Amino acid sequence: MINNKTYDVVIVGSGISGAVMAKTLTQAGKTVLLLEAGLTAGISLDRNGDYQNYVDYLNTFYIASAKVPNSPYPNIKDAPSIDVLDMQPISGPNSPSTSGYLVQAGPLPFASDCLRGPGGTTLHWLGSTPRMLPNDFKMKTLYGQGVDWPISYEDLMPYYEMAELEIGVSGNVNDIHWPEASNKQEQVELTNKFYGKDYVFPMEEIPTSYIDGVFTKLVAEVNTKNPVKVSGKDTKIKFSTTPQGRNSVPNKQYPYRDITWDSKTKKLVLQKDKYWCPETKEVVDSPLDEKYEYLPVGATWDPNTGQRCEGNASCVPICPVQAKYNALKTLYKSDRHKITIKTQSVASRILYDEKTGQVTGVEYKTYHTADSITYDTNIAKGKIYVLAASAIENAKILLASNAANSSDQVGRNLMDHLCLLTWGLLPEKGFPFRGPGSTTNMSSFRDGDFRKEHAAWICPIDNWGWGWPVFSPGSDLSNALAKNMFGKELRDQLADTLPKQLLLHYECEQLPEPDNRVTIDPAYRDQIGNYRPVIHYDASDYMKKAFETAKNINNQLFKATGTQDFTFYSPTLTADYVGYQEQGYNFWGAGHIVGTHRMGASKKDSVVNKDSRTWDHDNLYLVGCGNMPTLGTSNPTLTMTALTFKAAEAILKQLEK
Amino acid sequence: MESNKKSADIFLDISVFLTGFNKMELLGTGMLETYFNVVMNMNNVASVESFLAESEKILIKNQGNEEKINNEILHKLMPDSLYNGLAKNIITMWYMGNWMNTVISPQSYVQGLIWGVAETHPPGAKQPGYASWSTAPKTVQ
Repeated sequence: MINNKTYDVVIVGSGISGAVMAKTLTQAGKTVLLLEAGLTAGISLDRNGDYQNYVDYLNTFYIASAKVPNSPYPNIKDAPSIDVLDMQPISGPNSPSTSGYLVQAGPLPFASDCLRGPGGTTLHWLGSTPRMLPNDFKMKTLYGQGVDWPISYEDLMPYYEMAELEIGVSGNVNDIHWPEASNKQEQVELTNKFYGKDYVFPMEEIPTSYIDGVFTKLVAEVNTKNPVKVSGKDTKIKFSTTPQGRNSVPNKQYPYRDITWDSKTKKLVLQKDKYWCPETKEVVDSPLDEKYEYLPVGATWDPNTGQRCEGNASCVPICPVQAKYNALKTLYKSDRHKITIKTQSVASRILYDEKTGQVTGVEYKTYHTADSITYDTNIAKGKIYVLAASAIENAKILLASNAANSSDQVGRNLMDHLCLLTWGLLPEKGFPFRGPGSTTNMSSFRDGDFRKEHAAWICPIDNWGWGWPVFSPGSDLSNALAKNMFGKELRDQLADTLPKQLLLHYECEQLPEPDNRVTIDPAYRDQIGNYRPVIHYDASDYMKKAFETAKNINNQLFKATGTQDFTFYSPTLTADYVGYQEQGYNFWGAGHIVGTHRMGASKKDSVVNKDSRTWDHDNLYLVGCGNMPTLGTSNPTLTMTALTFKAAEAILKQLEK
Repeated sequence: MESNKKSADIFLDISVFLTGFNKMELLGTGMLETYFNVVMNMNNVASVESFLAESEKILIKNQGNEEKINNEILHKLMPDSLYNGLAKNIITMWYMGNWMNTVISPQSYVQGLIWGVAETHPPGAKQPGYASWSTAPKTVQ
């Protein structure tokens, strides 16, 4: 049946941006059609079905031989996802690697994936939610690199607070170290200025890991006795605890309970005493006699499950109890009478009036069953359209539609954090392979004058041993077996070494570069005729110099802490292997796919304005990490969510004009 | 059936020496029957039978002398050239729940012995609870 209804807003994608948009708009009384490319089973409005589907994900994860980020989730030929296992070296120009969904034109293969399915990549994300630093918004002005954002950190602050409520962030504001603070007082002043004097996160800090304690203590000794030298200068290494979107103990000081639309002031408001009531569908006052306390949001199938992180140590790719936030939690808060969800429906094109630029519809293909080759083509109609399909898919749809691209920036400036991994054996047991993926990060190099010369980085202490670079503990077993070890000797050897494994990763900020980009090519299409993204990608000297500097710091740290270095780089370790100053480095993707339709102050060099509205089409908004002009050193989900609240506010304002 | 039961017993006995885990620990995984069937079904039966026959011989001949048993295992079972690498594959199966590179079942992954050796739990299962990761594992306190 063809649905001819015109909705207030048509949203493409049910990841965090699409979900925040759907929830905010429907709670404000607007009708929404949500198109989701993935399987119907992934969005289940009955709790039993929801649970059964999630158990399927979990069992698929258990039997996956390589437990990579997308391993628990269906990969559908009608809406394929990127799989990091498909990455190959690219043999030369004009011979792209086509083994996976991405057509990798190189020269280097793009190393990150995302998930096309209900809930999007938040199903497999790690959950770290640091804010960007104020200076990250002014890279051009301060360091002569990249571009400035059209908004400042201060502009985004209220929306950061909304994002922190929506995701449910656990953390300690006072444990976030500012790289420029040289003493305690400066530290306090900066926190007061950029978080607000009394600001707290919804939940207390997630307890830091035992290995964090072991390593930071060793580094504290190095700082006092034998500090690391950077460019000949003694440098103290400082750590921050990492704010994260997983449930811990509610912070009793946290005052906010909801985010609501105020149609008088035309603003989204963080509410202390009011909330949107799902029964009456309106904003109501909190009961006067009630003492409010933030309530952690549990699993989608049972609010009492996942009230606390239970230490499954599998956040990437799946939290079995959903103590980690995922976008379905937000989506299910939508007003169910106002939202229509169409699954297995893949947006292929945007249609618009050539004269006015007004978008008139989204063409989408609905496939009947997973991997089926038959599908129906329909047009979705709305007053306003929102693409929330991921940075790569958004760019692909726009390119396929020849839309929003008067700046020629669509698809360009593709970015990721390039992760330099280092690993060694601690002098004592730190007991990794436990807890959330990371709970503490080395934050000293997130900002500084060096950004004129090379990339800044954040360096999380990883809690899961050497799993990422060399597939521990499986590889430790095979290495021991290769030496014919067996029996008690084997068991003792593994028991002695596995608990000492330390992994660090230096997540280096990639700059926007026009030639790192997504394009389309009629020669490459998927099973139902949609384009496959063609990726052109390389690492500049600005990145490689950061690898050199980070590795140099790492070598000093490992040596001074008595950590036995097992790091090696080789072309066979990963397909991303680069040389710099006669030294080879591997880098890994962070899963932070950013920058393909950046926002800016001018329509000449950006795709969207500061409200995420396309310059070329008054009724087309783009949301997601594609909007970010630069990446900073933060995991981007929190910032993208903040930008999405800002965009939702602009859409409501436009609808109520 | 009788001979199968006997073969399964030998499989368990030799697994003790191959893995470094005692009988109760291996039985505690609940995976013995599954793993024995994998060994019987995924390999040349004649080769498995001679492996088990050799294992039985080693265990009976050197009963009570662990050093001698280990020495004979090293030379008569472990070399890659013997029994198509069966001994190492059996060890990997108990430690990882895998046969070659394939995870046998969701339970086999969860019951992998390696996680206990690393003083942790299989990621995504047997979760130790809130804040457990912030102290040393209970087993060594």
